[in-house]
Amino acid sequence: MKKRLLATVLVLAMAIGMLAGCGEKKDSKPKGEESAIDKIIKEAQGMSMEQLAKKAIEESNGKTFYGVGNSSRGKSALPKFIEYLQSIDANYKMEFEWQQPKNNKIFEQLTSDSLKSQGTFAMTLIQDGNQIQTKMVDTGILKTFIPKEWAVANALTPDKYEGFLPLQTLNKVFMFNSTGTSQYNNCWDFVYEGNHPLFMGVDSEIVGKNFLMMLTQDKYAGWLKAAYDKLDATKKAYFEPIIKSLQSDAQDLGLGANGAYALAWIKLWVNNYNEQTDDGPICNILVDTSAKDQSGLLVYSKLRSVKESANVSVNNIKVAAYQDGYAGIGGYGYCHYLFVTKNSPLPWTACAFIAYMTCTESGFEAWGKDMGGYSSNPAVAQEIEDTFHHSTAGGTEFPAKNDRGYKWWTDEGKGELVLEDPKYCSEVSFTVGSWIDVLDHYKAE
Amino acid sequence: MTIAKPDKRAIFRNKVKTWFSRPQNIILLLFGIVLTFSTVAPIVAIIKDTFQIHPGTIDQHLTGKVSGYSIVNYTDLFTSKLAQKNLWTPLVNTIFLSVLTCAISILFGGLFAFLVTRTDMKYKRYLSSIFIFPYIMPQWTLAVVWQHMFYSNKVTGTADGLIASIFNVHFPNWWCQGLFPSAMVLGLHYAPFAYILIGGIFKNMDANLEEAATILDTPKWKIMFKVTLPMIKPAILSTILLVFGSAMGSYPVPHYLNLTTLSTKYISMNSKYTGEASIIAIIMMIFGVLILGLNQMSLKSRKNYTTVTGKSGQLTKLRIGKIGKYAVGIVFIVITFFTSIWPIILFALETFLPNPGDYSFLYTGNFAHLTTKWWLTNENVTENGMYGQSGILYNDTIWHAFFGTLMLAVACALIAGTIGTLIGYAVSKNRRSKWANYVNNVAFLPYLMPSIAVGAAFFILFSNEHINLFNTYTLLIIAGVVKYIPFASRSSLNSMLQISSELEEAAVIQNTSWIKRMVRIIIPIQKSSIISGYLLPFMTCLRELSLFLLLCTQGFILSTTLDYFDEMGLYAFSSAINLILIVTILVFNTLVNKLTGASLDSGIGGK
Repeated sequence: MKKRLLATVLVLAMAIGMLAGCGEKKDSKPKGEESAIDKIIKEAQGMSMEQLAKKAIEESNGKTFYGVGNSSRGKSALPKFIEYLQSIDANYKMEFEWQQPKNNKIFEQLTSDSLKSQGTFAMTLIQDGNQIQTKMVDTGILKTFIPKEWAVANALTPDKYEGFLPLQTLNKVFMFNSTGTSQYNNCWDFVYEGNHPLFMGVDSEIVGKNFLMMLTQDKYAGWLKAAYDKLDATKKAYFEPIIKSLQSDAQDLGLGANGAYALAWIKLWVNNYNEQTDDGPICNILVDTSAKDQSGLLVYSKLRSVKESANVSVNNIKVAAYQDGYAGIGGYGYCHYLFVTKNSPLPWTACAFIAYMTCTESGFEAWGKDMGGYSSNPAVAQEIEDTFHHSTAGGTEFPAKNDRGYKWWTDEGKGELVLEDPKYCSEVSFTVGSWIDVLDHYKAE
Repeated sequence: MTIAKPDKRAIFRNKVKTWFSRPQNIILLLFGIVLTFSTVAPIVAIIKDTFQIHPGTIDQHLTGKVSGYSIVNYTDLFTSKLAQKNLWTPLVNTIFLSVLTCAISILFGGLFAFLVTRTDMKYKRYLSSIFIFPYIMPQWTLAVVWQHMFYSNKVTGTADGLIASIFNVHFPNWWCQGLFPSAMVLGLHYAPFAYILIGGIFKNMDANLEEAATILDTPKWKIMFKVTLPMIKPAILSTILLVFGSAMGSYPVPHYLNLTTLSTKYISMNSKYTGEASIIAIIMMIFGVLILGLNQMSLKSRKNYTTVTGKSGQLTKLRIGKIGKYAVGIVFIVITFFTSIWPIILFALETFLPNPGDYSFLYTGNFAHLTTKWWLTNENVTENGMYGQSGILYNDTIWHAFFGTLMLAVACALIAGTIGTLIGYAVSKNRRSKWANYVNNVAFLPYLMPSIAVGAAFFILFSNEHINLFNTYTLLIIAGVVKYIPFASRSSLNSMLQISSELEEAAVIQNTSWIKRMVRIIIPIQKSSIISGYLLPFMTCLRELSLFLLLCTQGFILSTTLDYFDEMGLYAFSSAINLILIVTILVFNTLVNKLTGASLDSGIGGK
């Protein structure tokens, strides 16, 4: 009995210990007052790349730099950054570790790191504008730094710029296996009766859900309406009742005039997409001769590594938006954003590394060497194109691999890429987002 | 003459001294406290998380607060219009999956154990060693093999798998995706458990009872159901105990085969419904506690664990006929070829294909398309059709993860094996003590809790302002040790219970120290069981994913790296990692076998 009592007391003591001090945390710093990191960022925004590099050398020589990101290529960019710093000071040395967490853990990792007075991670390269806005920026965990050269290239003033700093935009585009007879000439064709496009689930990659939420924004709902208007009568007759049935939902959700078109497309997409674990398997499937008439929405750059064989060919697929006369959205774009952490142990080095990646060709090369990733710095984007010739890389042999570039992809009437807007996504996350959550998902029968 | 009053303090001191002079008491006290903390603290942390408000998630939206505590996660999960989708359907699927997995593993493993131990079937040694291969391989790799074999454009809306391509046969969807294939894959993966546990009893079973029944002219089916099966009931219960929780906590298999379970829901809900995901983890843990309770009840009813066996040396083997003994052996050779050898052949082939899953050389006979690029490419700058990766031999991520995993597995095996052995010893010595019973249960509880839930709990516990162990070997070792102690404690306890206390008492009379008694008497006698208490954590740890998934980054250990490559569709890399894992485990198993004479299937059908 005594032993049981002892065990109970021990357990309770631990439970109390665990819960002790769990009250709401109060920030000791008065609102509006700048933190040390804020001051450094403000100062850094007025500095040139070289000035920043000197500050970084001063700060991080002989130390270890920890970065965390959704892209593994930060690991390839860091050695080049160190080489660059060594070109200024030959004696400079820095160790580094780049982590790539899985399954959304990056947000929890950054949150727990932010609780320390000095964090482990100096900076991050992160995707999913919606969660960044609500979990990282609204909470003050991540800070935006705008490099001077990047602002100049984009004709902006750093301290007046309000968005996040994108390293690049990646595109996921509609493709289909063209060895059969099916035609996909309109974005509504992908949600037409009997079609089950391959797609990563909206729950496993949240940027996919952001894409769906973005469709309800007036601009993109308008694009969907315009594409709908170009459908033939049979297809219109199929979609019309669904659109009408969603008018009241669109009103309830406070959407614009074409909101019901967006909701109808979203509903049919969620009801019908065939979920896969990643874009890699989707690409492997679509380029195979046996995947006749199948379609998918996947990262464009996956096409780069396909090797020709008896069954597999890049020419087995078509990029929907590249077809003459294609109407509607060609896919969606999402960004990799760069941030300094609020308790960065090496803030100057973080700023210099961010400037290096966004303002120099060698800094962006780890991503730029492949098609389908577009630097947010127009000058760097041009340099990358001059070096790697992505627009003609496929030649006449593999036209699907001729990347038409960011401008083409995002223009109305051309690629019509739906671009992620973190603010909009976070605003509709629990209205449109929750509406999406209750939709049924496709299960093959 | 006055009688001196007894000095209560001296008596107390003496009692304490006597108590502490028994090593088993110190072991139980020490590990009782440590294991209480290591088991209870993560549970408390995750319970706390269910009440916490997380910025940017549903609880913030529903409460309008960015921090603090609320019960809104509970009300939303159980009562909102998403309850069916987020909770009840996954819960039902999970229960079906766990039950079906138990049934498949027991039927397949049990039948095989019977044939190996109780019949004159041929090729036993080969079959016995090959049968445990699916357990060596990470469970979801069989799921990927299943996809490659059975998927088809016509049914699953993908590219054709091997069977559809070669034979133009299209399997129905229930065979390709969902509950059935998930349970089959997990059942095959855990069948070696059933084989080892049930086989152990069959091997040592007293045949006199069956012979008596035969003399009394009892029909064979009646002997099977009235005599044999009741005798192996403890082993069946043990298998259920081990497999149910494991199947429930499996994330990758249902994930790859498109079945929504509590584990897959935990992962998918974690970003927007963080607190509700923690409730799901708690629900999975409750199942673990319930299973432990059921085990306790069954223990009470039979007053022992799995060792109900007598030790008859008169084991008679059922004769299955001159042709039968070869025919049954050959049938199992064919079956195990598809469950154990075929996946390995596919893994090896995959590393030479031009594109992931592109087996076109099989249909065209054109071997020129095969390539060694996945092994030999020594850079990742040029576009080599490698998706930005260096070849396997030059891939730093793979080799860094390999050595990290090896270190992790050795550390977990040594620590968990030693602690488990000591606990088994101490509990066997104090078997009537309630504290010993408590220590035994608290050591076993983490094993019954689904891995994904244990991983989630450890992540929450060790990611705070005071301590942040995410992505460190320290955290993985802590989680691994806590999770794998039961392997060692159970096998140690079962074997220690078989040792008569007289042996040790004789040594005590001779004033032999405890360490010497352990090293010279106890350990040598039960060497085989104790070594399996080290081998099982080692092997399990090498390819563990669900437990470590939430605790480290993608390239940190081999299983997360393997899963990363599988998810990305880069099957050449994942297959190569599989081969590396299988070879590593076989090398270690052989080494241990040569050095100590013990092996995983020793005493059943192996050497």
